[in-house]
Amino acid sequence: MESDSELVARMQSGDQEAFTELVCRHSARVFRLAVSVLGKEFVPEAEDVAQEVFLKAHHAIASYRGQGEFSSWIYRIAFNHAVNVKSRVRFRRPHADETLLHGIATPRPGPERQAETAQRDRALAECIQTLPEVYQSALRLYYWLGAPVGETAELLGVPENTVKSYLRRARQLLEGMLRERGYSCD
Amino acid sequence: MTEMESRETGIDALLRRTMAAQIPHLPAGFDERVVRNVGRKPGRGWRPLDRSSRLLLAGYGFVSMVTSAIVMRSQGLGWLAISCTTLTPLVLAVTRPLWRAARTQGPHAAS
Repeated sequence: MESDSELVARMQSGDQEAFTELVCRHSARVFRLAVSVLGKEFVPEAEDVAQEVFLKAHHAIASYRGQGEFSSWIYRIAFNHAVNVKSRVRFRRPHADETLLHGIATPRPGPERQAETAQRDRALAECIQTLPEVYQSALRLYYWLGAPVGETAELLGVPENTVKSYLRRARQLLEGMLRERGYSCD
Repeated sequence: MTEMESRETGIDALLRRTMAAQIPHLPAGFDERVVRNVGRKPGRGWRPLDRSSRLLLAGYGFVSMVTSAIVMRSQGLGWLAISCTTLTPLVLAVTRPLWRAARTQGPHAAS
């Protein structure tokens, strides 16, 4: 199997099939990264981001000099583009209420307890939105999309230990924020 | 287990529970659509302006050019200098898209 750098070289000399192969190889991961930045309410926007990332990469491929992995380059474009899109769409009504989606996994005890749990889940979702983008992305990749630390590190372009510390710090911040609002994590 | 560790475990379990939801996937045919669209869209988020925006922009350009010429003339500048300063941006605005279009016809242009 050809390496990414070989495909990039072919693409730079005008071979469209090499571009098709690169899209096939990286589209799923680019989409996962975009969706981890935008969140579960904006999945269609994440799909648009994934498409625009490849269009951008196609137009910018002439300026790509092979310094570093092609995947790191495209993931960086994806992260930055998704953050830009997020700043535009965040005030729009989401496609699906996050609490509804959360409800899928929430157990159903008595109505009072259920309301309390729903309130805490909503508070947690709000707290997550206040974290730095890279923490939010790491949390969604790890807890929602089930990406192992290694994959999260690759997508965010940082070492595995940095991802572990992002997750630890994010958990500490969330725990503190929930406690401040009067909720416990039990 | 220390208090801090127990808190960590608590928030970890809560995150696992509340963030669990259906994992989205790209629709079938996404890759083909991207490859198809490469030939259509110009790069860097460029979009052609609609008719009203073009008219508005042209009107603004014309008014600002005339105003600049009047002001510069009142300051005693010659017509040559006035023409150069007002027409250079116009020439650049017209030639840049043409130059860009010519550049994208190169070996990396989409087929």
